[in-house]
Amino acid sequence: MTAARSIGGTILEVDAVSLAFGGVKALTEVSFDVREHEIRAIIGPNGAGKSSMLNVINGVYRPQRGTITFRGVPRHGMNPYDAASSGIARTFQNIALFKGMSVLDNIMTGRNLRMKASFLEQAIWIGRARREELDNRARVEAIIDFLEIQHIRRTPVGRLAYGLQKRVELARALAAEPALLLLDEPMAGMNVEEKQDMCRFILDVNAEFGTTIVLIEHDMGVVMDICDRIVVLDYGRKIGDGAADEIRGNQAVIDAYLGVAH
Amino acid sequence: MQFFFEVLIGGLLSGVMYSLVALGFVLIYKASGVFNFAQGTMVFFAALTFVGLTEHGLSFWMALPATLVVMVLLGLAIERAVLRPLVNQPQISLFMATIGLSFLLEGLAQIVWGTSVRGLDIGVADEPIGWIADRFGLNISKFDLVAALIAAVLVAALAFFFSRTRIGRALRAVADDHQAALAVGIPLQQIWGIVWAVAGAVALVAGLLWGARNGVQFALTFVALKALPVLMLGGLESVPGAIVGGLIIGASEKLAEVYLGPMVGGGIEGWFPYVLALVVLLFRPEGLFGEKIIRRV
Repeated sequence: MTAARSIGGTILEVDAVSLAFGGVKALTEVSFDVREHEIRAIIGPNGAGKSSMLNVINGVYRPQRGTITFRGVPRHGMNPYDAASSGIARTFQNIALFKGMSVLDNIMTGRNLRMKASFLEQAIWIGRARREELDNRARVEAIIDFLEIQHIRRTPVGRLAYGLQKRVELARALAAEPALLLLDEPMAGMNVEEKQDMCRFILDVNAEFGTTIVLIEHDMGVVMDICDRIVVLDYGRKIGDGAADEIRGNQAVIDAYLGVAH
Repeated sequence: MQFFFEVLIGGLLSGVMYSLVALGFVLIYKASGVFNFAQGTMVFFAALTFVGLTEHGLSFWMALPATLVVMVLLGLAIERAVLRPLVNQPQISLFMATIGLSFLLEGLAQIVWGTSVRGLDIGVADEPIGWIADRFGLNISKFDLVAALIAAVLVAALAFFFSRTRIGRALRAVADDHQAALAVGIPLQQIWGIVWAVAGAVALVAGLLWGARNGVQFALTFVALKALPVLMLGGLESVPGAIVGGLIIGASEKLAEVYLGPMVGGGIEGWFPYVLALVVLLFRPEGLFGEKIIRRV
């Protein structure tokens, strides 16, 4: 992989996390770690608990048992707002953009936590509010260039094709300059070209900004190509963890995907 | 022709007053998806509080900030006590809650300040402006013109605030998708608090202008009914829509009254705006400036 980045220490530690909705066990005793600057994949058949795992990391769900430690701080009772302010950004499986707003405004909302001017300063548009707006606009323009979406800057997001919407959502997440970026099926529903573009962007983001990325993906080819290490879930349990080659040879993983004779 | 322009301009200026009331609805609808039935009552509440304070000896410039503080606190209290407990409930529950709220506020205002009709003087006379009458031969009310200017400044400021600042963007983001807004780190409750406070302040401006024109009395709550066709016409979530909608309604109802009224025996000013709004709805269900409903199949 790229020589520029070097994988650092553990940034996120998931320890024995269990999550149940009533009687349905979504996750059972799942543990894994994510190291700084790496691209980590979570894979598994449908209903394996991948999205639940992401939602736990991001604070949408609170696990009944287990701990999550992010940048050395154990988290308890975290909500998505806390997650965002501690440096975790994400995209959603079903795209959660602000459909009526332009691409530019959508991405600017990603910088919300970076802007500090008070309500009154903004109401009368003085000093800090004005400067801040311009500074942040410049940052956002850089991201727009980076993801090659200059031409749709002013278009309301709801009018864009699916693949482009996914790219805008990535841009909004990047705008927050996150320490950890969670991507929930970034390539779902895309055609081959769009997938290739998205792969390139994910690798570029990782290489250029050193952003740690955790992604969920169904396309095995993609996962094996771009990820450093892979966690495999099945029925809410971890059944494999390691580099692509190890996962390929893991019998439990092969069984989970291909089925096994009983 | 001169008469036509007089009617037109008079209509446009009173239309701005409708916009002002409609704006209060738009603000809250835009940020929280709640159609605030109590907006008309808030206008009444603001006017009555202002008049009540001046009757207790406060000067205009003392009563104004005092009432502003009351309205902002009222807005924050409504968000905190009525809407926050209802988060994630169906729209209709929130709407019903605001209906209840409007009765509560009506009663409360009249318990505190009494039910008698009062006059409200903001120091601008409702008389023709001399030099316009001399030069163009048009009778334009000074009061209408000042009221329209105040409303225009307020609308411009709010439109700018919505499109060019972090909080404005956050407001729109929250209105669009709560889950996504939380994930990018927008504090929902703070944003809602701000919206209600701003809506309270807008109600104050509308209350002063309408109170000065019609007198401060219970019927002031009905100005909200005038805002409904404006909202239908302009679109519920558009600040520019509220202003253009107000202008169209104001001008067309006055022109209709003067030119069509005699044919049907007069009195069409009251219902003409609704018919106009319904016709627009036939062609553009989201209103002239509402956010386009985009559906992907």
